[in-house]
Amino acid sequence: MRGIYIVGNYPDRESFVKCFDAVISAGYEFVEIGVPFSEPVADGPVIASAVQEALGSGVKAGDVLAGLKTLSKGKAKLYVMTYANIIYNYGIKKFSDDFKDVLSGLIIPDVPNMLHSYFYDQGFEIPLIPFVTPESREEDIKKAAVMQGDFIYFIGIRGITGGSVDLSSPEISERIQQIKAFTDKKIVMGFGIKDKTDADKALKVADGFVVGTAAVKLQKNSAEYSEFVKSLL
Amino acid sequence: MKGFFGDFGGMFVPETLVPALEQLEREFNMLKDDPEFKKDLARYSTTYIGRPSPVYYASRMSEEYGVEIYLKREDLNHTGSHKINNTIAQALLTRYMGKKRIIAETGAGQHGVATATVAALFGLDCTVYMGAVDAARQKPNVDRMKLLGAKLELVHDGSKTLKDATNAAMRDWVKNVEDTHYIIGSVIGPHPFPEMVAHFQSVIGREARASFKEMGFLPDAVVACVGGGSNAIGIFKGFLDTSCELYGIEAGGLSDNEGDHAMAIGKGRAGILHGCVTYLVQTADGQVADVHSIAAGLDYPGIGPEHSYLHGTGRVTYDKVRDEDAVFAFRELARREGIVPAVESSHAIAYVLKNKDKFKGRKVLINLSGRGDKDSERDI
Ligand SMILES: Cc1ncc(COP(=O)(O)O)c(C=O)c1O
Repeated sequence: MRGIYIVGNYPDRESFVKCFDAVISAGYEFVEIGVPFSEPVADGPVIASAVQEALGSGVKAGDVLAGLKTLSKGKAKLYVMTYANIIYNYGIKKFSDDFKDVLSGLIIPDVPNMLHSYFYDQGFEIPLIPFVTPESREEDIKKAAVMQGDFIYFIGIRGITGGSVDLSSPEISERIQQIKAFTDKKIVMGFGIKDKTDADKALKVADGFVVGTAAVKLQKNSAEYSEFVKSLL
Repeated sequence: MKGFFGDFGGMFVPETLVPALEQLEREFNMLKDDPEFKKDLARYSTTYIGRPSPVYYASRMSEEYGVEIYLKREDLNHTGSHKINNTIAQALLTRYMGKKRIIAETGAGQHGVATATVAALFGLDCTVYMGAVDAARQKPNVDRMKLLGAKLELVHDGSKTLKDATNAAMRDWVKNVEDTHYIIGSVIGPHPFPEMVAHFQSVIGREARASFKEMGFLPDAVVACVGGGSNAIGIFKGFLDTSCELYGIEAGGLSDNEGDHAMAIGKGRAGILHGCVTYLVQTADGQVADVHSIAAGLDYPGIGPEHSYLHGTGRVTYDKVRDEDAVFAFRELARREGIVPAVESSHAIAYVLKNKDKFKGRKVLINLSGRGDKDSERDI
């Protein structure tokens, strides 16, 4: 499961759609659309400033969401990555009703696994993707293994997006083996993957990867962007 | 659900922080009634902070306004505000948890100074995040933090105020959670912070209640300013079970227009920020809106979740005071009583002065959450 994170409607709707199409035609299995939120506490400087810039130039979360329905995603799965307040503000049940046919899942960095029930209890039907991090305890991993969502998001580094990850570290492969012992779900590595070498290494230890920061850096230049996303596969 | 006050609260944080928050919850629940911990905390409270703080009858103001005005003197605490009550307690907790580094966010700088102070006291490494705009308007506190040996990280994101400092501190915590404790400075953030900080600040209300008991009567009303709401919850806890009217005063800023005020309850609606569901000043699109207050410590788009809950129950009345009225009260208390209040606390005082007809002849207790040395250099 190889995927790319794209900041929705950044720098503008047209450029965003070009980048989106580039990811689809390159043949990725999934796309994560970032819906801008003004307080991106789990994001590093590159994504945080792209989001600030988008909001500053008038990008609306509501427009990004409305636009999801018009994207031609081919065979790829679509996920939304955003912060809890965006969904809360939209209306938890309403969001689910409006997008359950479009989205395969939702990644919310400020909703920990134990609070997924807060959404499901209010009638949310789109799967929330569980996280495993370097801090996760065995009991956390066991719980994540049986949660909804068609993959587990494995965060390979301590910290926020844009850090660098040591994909050869034994800690990472041990962790992934530990998760595999409890689940048949796919394990997708996020955070810190920036080039083909990293991507290949990630696929050796996990079942997939998602690239964020390194791609967002190029989002303003759709030609370069297109080359970059092809180069990773 | 755990960590909720009715519909508000929770633990909306990155998964990475969950083990640390659960550890904190466990240690807090264990230590808060532990005789050793309580003895330690009591000793630092008396010998270091200078507690108990007195309740002072402001006779000249009272005569002028026709209201019996009592002030709970948190301004007399070491470091100049109520913030030290919480930081000493959390620094002790940090020591019990075996962590070596503390971080904090600060708006007015009072919480930053209080955190830098306890770091020096306990030999902990300390980093304080502060918005660049706040650092410029609270320079005396910036200098104090440096003098105390804290690393100061100026934040240039967003509105360069308290919410941005909080974002930066959260990011630091996510990266360094193994050896770092984040001393949140108000009754905000993920569970267990709102409950824990309220517990450590409830000493204000307990002491005030004891002072009134000695005087042989209760106040008719208790008034406190609300940024995140820690000084307000702290004093309210002493009177929730009485018939006293309780008032929490938000920063009305310049006007009711978006960007001109910081009224989370007055002009906001429920949302999720910095770890909890609570009232939030936000745009129609769900973005956190810019807020403004002349008081850096009130310049925050959210409010503690317990306040959102208390608003819903009607037990506490939330209202506003504008910048100019706070400045008037700031000067008025200085001239009539020889006390320079923090511009944050001046909001609570101003509410009573502005509503003197409502409070006529009644006994009103105002929480003087801090002193105004930090503000007296400013042109207000
Ligand atoms: C003197 C003083 N009062 C009040 C506040 C507001 O905080 P809270 O509402 O948490 O008491 C601050 C915050 O910096 C402060 O410095």
